[in-house]
Amino acid sequence: MTGRSMIELIGIEKRYHSFQALADLNLTLQEGEFFSLLGPSGCGKTTALRIIAGFLEPTAGIVRIAGQDMQGVPANRRPTNMVFQSYAIFPHLNVGDNVGFGLSRSGLSRRQRKARIEEALAMVALEGFEDRHADALSGGQRQRVALARALVMQPKVLLLDEPLSALDKKLRESMQFELRRLQQSVGINFVMVTHDQYEAMTMSDRIGVMFDGRLAQVDTPTQLYAFPANRKVAAFIGGMNFLPAQLVGEPAGRLEVMVAGLGGLDIARNQGVARHDRELVVGLRPEQLHISRDEPAGFDARAQGTVTDAAFYGETVHYHVEIAGVPEPVVVSVPNHFHTVDFKRGDRVWIAAQGASVIDLGARTDN
Amino acid sequence: MSDNNRTGVLLALPATAYVGLLVAAPLGVLVLYSFWTQTYIDIDRSFTWENYRTAFSDPLVRHLLIRSIWMAGLVTFVTVALAYPIAYFVAFRTRNKTFWLLLITIPFWISYLLRVFAWRVILGFNGLINSTLMSAGLIDEPLDFLLYNEFAVIMTLAHAWAPFAILPIYVSLQRIDRSLLEAASDLGAGRVECFLRVTLPLTIPGIIASSLIIFIPTVGDYVTPALVGGSDGKMVANLIQVYFGAANNWPLGATLSLMSMAAVGMVAVAFVVLLRSAGKAIR
Ligand SMILES: Nc1ncnc2c1ncn2[C@@H]1O[C@H](COP(=O)(O)OP(=O)(O)OP(=O)(O)O)[C@@H](O)[C@H]1O
Ligand SMILES: [Mg+2]
Repeated sequence: MTGRSMIELIGIEKRYHSFQALADLNLTLQEGEFFSLLGPSGCGKTTALRIIAGFLEPTAGIVRIAGQDMQGVPANRRPTNMVFQSYAIFPHLNVGDNVGFGLSRSGLSRRQRKARIEEALAMVALEGFEDRHADALSGGQRQRVALARALVMQPKVLLLDEPLSALDKKLRESMQFELRRLQQSVGINFVMVTHDQYEAMTMSDRIGVMFDGRLAQVDTPTQLYAFPANRKVAAFIGGMNFLPAQLVGEPAGRLEVMVAGLGGLDIARNQGVARHDRELVVGLRPEQLHISRDEPAGFDARAQGTVTDAAFYGETVHYHVEIAGVPEPVVVSVPNHFHTVDFKRGDRVWIAAQGASVIDLGARTDN
Repeated sequence: MSDNNRTGVLLALPATAYVGLLVAAPLGVLVLYSFWTQTYIDIDRSFTWENYRTAFSDPLVRHLLIRSIWMAGLVTFVTVALAYPIAYFVAFRTRNKTFWLLLITIPFWISYLLRVFAWRVILGFNGLINSTLMSAGLIDEPLDFLLYNEFAVIMTLAHAWAPFAILPIYVSLQRIDRSLLEAASDLGAGRVECFLRVTLPLTIPGIIASSLIIFIPTVGDYVTPALVGGSDGKMVANLIQVYFGAANNWPLGATLSLMSMAAVGMVAVAFVVLLRSAGKAIR
């Protein structure tokens, strides 16, 4: 990353008649950045991408790409390429012609074009598919053709609308790796829309989390995980237990809180939250909680409870523990070491946490 | 035969009987007649190739057949060329498509004959166009090239066939996934290139359908040429009509009918093949 801004969205707003699809979207993406837009279905991710690509005019606001105002610049003259959520494979062309569609204006010779097409198809693991007709492809193959068709253009900005959603886990992981490697080696900007938080976390430099047409938080994956700006973001990324807490004191940069069920804790102040108040909400990640039969030592807080549910997930085992004074059962996840489920429903257990793992989510009235 | 198969046959029976009675049987009669001979008021039912020999060697037949195909081709070309932009407009540029489609079908609400007569009124010597141009002072005497020639036939038929041409093209345009056009423009194609490389190839089935729907009946049309075509607008169907009517030579009429059917069939197949490969070449 060189620190120059590649994409700037300033006060973007999009209305469909009375429906507000995007509201006050402000975002600056650095050159070479891998950015992901994450959010539930219908929150406006595709709309935002289409505004950058030039298929939609924003109702208000400015789009700049590489410092240039894009107002009135049609999609075919923007330095962007898009991988469509619906793939948009040309049904009258074969795979090679689909991938080579945009190269006809490139001034490349026939042989150079052929080489570029082959290279792009190799990147998406579709070597030798040039002559295959578009109708004769599986969903995942169509998605990869769409990806190759955009990659072959070597644009400054690649816009990806759920580019890997139709692939099986194994292929998806290898494509994630391949895309990331490609993005780093050629240094182009990626803006990727995804439903999949793990995909966003593993691939992105930064993630924007959207709800109802608004950006709730823009941060690096670790910051987003450690300091979500509110309960909604926290719930969308990873698992999270929400516990009511009371603010007792505010030493410099920290908060002293009384957490329901767990008692007094000294936790880090989350700079990202909107507001603090006497009544707070704090979050505890299931994997950061300790669970044991006997009272554990060496933790900042502990509580005794009853197991109400146990679920085997393969890599992890989840326990739901009911604790007096906590409104909902607390979820604890522990790594699966020996394929055993150590506690069963009705068992009395201790759960324990360190203050450093408890997340301040701000005033309860905001959450 | 399984139960399912038997049901299928039973279901297809009415349609098969209908088609057999109204298409296959008359066609068979036509074929039979073409091998017989007319002897004044009687028919000589002995087998002969004589009708075909006559038809092939008659320069008038050849002339009319070629002209019919040429005229039908022109009518088809003009109609489809005019229909495409209208279909495009309705499919891509309008909101209330039902309203526009209704407008397009308005010519159907008037009888075919009335429409042809209306064109006579419009194009005639003292017709709408001439009187308007005269009273506007643009011409001193009526234009006489408007009616009773090929031009009049083409105008009249292009108007009559318009909905038949517009609707199939409209359907094929309507079926195009809009994201394909976005993808093309995303890949750098301007409006014209989008049209030539995506829209047009994807509507070739519609163009073929429209063209065949117009071309085939036009070759055999005799009302329009008879009413507005004058002497040099006559087509092969007019001759066939004469043989079945005034000339009272059914066998020769039948032969001519079969010959024009065969010619139309061949031209139509050639046309489809040509357009298909043109579609492939566009890429
Ligand atoms: N042409 C339109 N007219 C009216 N509303 C629209 C239109 N296009 C999209 N919307 C609405 O705008 C909102 C955002 O749509 P968008 O396609 O951006 O969602 P998304 O975040 O991409 O969802 P998904 O993850 O399901 O793809 C949705 O509620 C959708 O119904
Ligand atoms: Mg979407």
